[in-house]
Amino acid sequence: MGPKSIIGLAGALIVVLVVSASVYIIPETHRGVLLRFGELIETNIPAGIHFKVPVIDQVREFDVRVLTTDLPAHQYLTVEKKPLDVDSYIAWQIADVDTFYRSTGGDEFRAQSLLSSRVDNGLRNEFGVRTMHEVVSGQRDELMHSLRDQVNETSVDEFGIRVLDIRVKAIELPQQVSENVYRRMATEREKLAQEFRSRGREAAEGIRADADRQQTVILAEAFAKSEELRGEGDGEAARIYADAYSQDEEFYSFYRSITAYQNAFSSKDDIMVIDSDSDFLRFLKDPMGATN
Amino acid sequence: MAWNEPGGNRNDNDPWGTGGGRRGGNDQGPPDLDEALKKGLDKLNKMLGGKGGKSGGGDSGSGGSAGGFGAVIALAAILVVGYVVYQSFYTVDEQERAVVLRFGEYSRTEDPGLRFKVPLIDDVRKVRVTNVRSAESAGQMLTQDENLVTVDLQVQYQVSNARDYVLNVRDSNQALAFATDSALRHEVGSATLDDVLTEGRAELAINVEQRLQAFLQDYGAGLRIVRVNVESTQPPGPVQDAFREVQRAREDEQRSIEEAETYRNKIVPEARGRAQRLIEEANAYKSRVVETARGETARYLDLLAVYSDAPRVTRERMYIQALENVMSNTSKVFVDTKSSNNMMYLPLDQMIKRNTVTSGRDSSGNTGSMSGQVDIQSVTDEVLRELRNRQATNSRTGR
Repeated sequence: MGPKSIIGLAGALIVVLVVSASVYIIPETHRGVLLRFGELIETNIPAGIHFKVPVIDQVREFDVRVLTTDLPAHQYLTVEKKPLDVDSYIAWQIADVDTFYRSTGGDEFRAQSLLSSRVDNGLRNEFGVRTMHEVVSGQRDELMHSLRDQVNETSVDEFGIRVLDIRVKAIELPQQVSENVYRRMATEREKLAQEFRSRGREAAEGIRADADRQQTVILAEAFAKSEELRGEGDGEAARIYADAYSQDEEFYSFYRSITAYQNAFSSKDDIMVIDSDSDFLRFLKDPMGATN
Repeated sequence: MAWNEPGGNRNDNDPWGTGGGRRGGNDQGPPDLDEALKKGLDKLNKMLGGKGGKSGGGDSGSGGSAGGFGAVIALAAILVVGYVVYQSFYTVDEQERAVVLRFGEYSRTEDPGLRFKVPLIDDVRKVRVTNVRSAESAGQMLTQDENLVTVDLQVQYQVSNARDYVLNVRDSNQALAFATDSALRHEVGSATLDDVLTEGRAELAINVEQRLQAFLQDYGAGLRIVRVNVESTQPPGPVQDAFREVQRAREDEQRSIEEAETYRNKIVPEARGRAQRLIEEANAYKSRVVETARGETARYLDLLAVYSDAPRVTRERMYIQALENVMSNTSKVFVDTKSSNNMMYLPLDQMIKRNTVTSGRDSSGNTGSMSGQVDIQSVTDEVLRELRNRQATNSRTGR
């Protein structure tokens, strides 16, 4: 191998090095800036293959995808001075790499801390003019949109950052307040439990009273009906007797009397003291039955 | 690639590009690569003035040592070419899509199959799109009525757009997790505790799904929510006892009512039964009284018929018969007051004493069964009285 070929090989290597140093690729997810001796000479470089002067020019590229940043939980006061622990996040992206580089030096962490202090401040203001109820249920969307627009007004121009969304992940009550809420919830439940039990007893009492009433009414009606039936029977019987006995009243009174005698004196224990003049005994003394 | 070039002794590696033409006749993809390589090599050769090629040729002719060096280079070249060709193909699995960036710019999204890329120029990012992934969110949160509730939620999602998934959001999974937390708490915050705990759960899941989908749309995350499952909603630990107490109270309520209904089901039918008995007894009484009357009067009427035919004899017979009955059933003391004027001593006290003992027994034994009899007697007495009254009035009017 001659010196010529070695020189050729070295030359080729140098060319490759030079080419690779002067070509750079910015991926779709990023945007770049070109710095020449620290001076920004090309801004907002889109994705694709680009050229630069080796050594002299420097490329800085920034991820412009949407990034979600978790904000540390802070305590905010609502308009009625209720404290709430609020945990939120920001969805944001770099909108203008040029401004972003100038204002933050391309440091995402710095950008995040700048942004989060603004959002923190904004949240504090937004919470301060709303009631707890509005914050928790009614006006979350409005609150977040208004805050987002408010932050965007300055952050795009100042940081080159566009905030897509600010969202509250969690709104929580501080521990001691939570305990009050637990107590209140428990009391509410006790109230409800008591109501259920009492309602049960109410209904039960009603059912029992109704049953007792039915019982009384049924028995009373039955009594009335039975008396009526007995009366009908008595009446019917009286009518039958009257019909029969009125045919010969004199005979009836005789018949009835002797029946009554037989019934009345039906026991050996009854004692009759009979005078010998009794009509029944007239033949006892005289076969002709002559009464003396 | 420069070290490729000295292998000029290989026929197919003509530095001047004639070989490139030949190989261009090869199959679909690889020529691109080779042409690109060749162009690069050509440039290099032009820059170096083609001396490498010439010197290589000279060397191969001049010495054996140079020939050995050439073989090593050739081997290296083959390996490199093989590696490059190997690198140019990739497969996309059925569950994946591949996002291809050419020189960093989005070029295309490839479907499953064997695919070609240009090494160093194309950047392939594979994304699993058909897989259903899941994320959980759980915790204690405030409801609209300022109560606390613990909700456990699972989100199932898919990559709906591989390009957006790769290019728009840096950490889609984290974005999803945050958005899920936010959407869940927002929706719970808009519902009452009772809704969250009971019938509102299905609605909660739907609302969270819609909200979450809207958030992801805003971020361009390329994710699609397949389903949101609200796995459990519970009151917070410290108050669970109180909630269970309500459950128990609800059961107690039912139990009280059941007990009362049991009572009702016992006494009302019993009362109906007793009522039935009263009525049946009255019916029985009625029948008995009426039939007794009918029987007695039938007997009387028969007798009356006979009596009408022969009043005197019948009357006499009846009288004597009745007295016979009476006399034969009773103790008798016959007193002939006319024939003796002596004071008569009757031990009535002893008789009565004996009497009361036996009749007491008798009456106690008979009162129950005799009650009907007594009733009849009272009825007949009534009738008698009535008859007498009528007689009186009749005679009065007759007069």
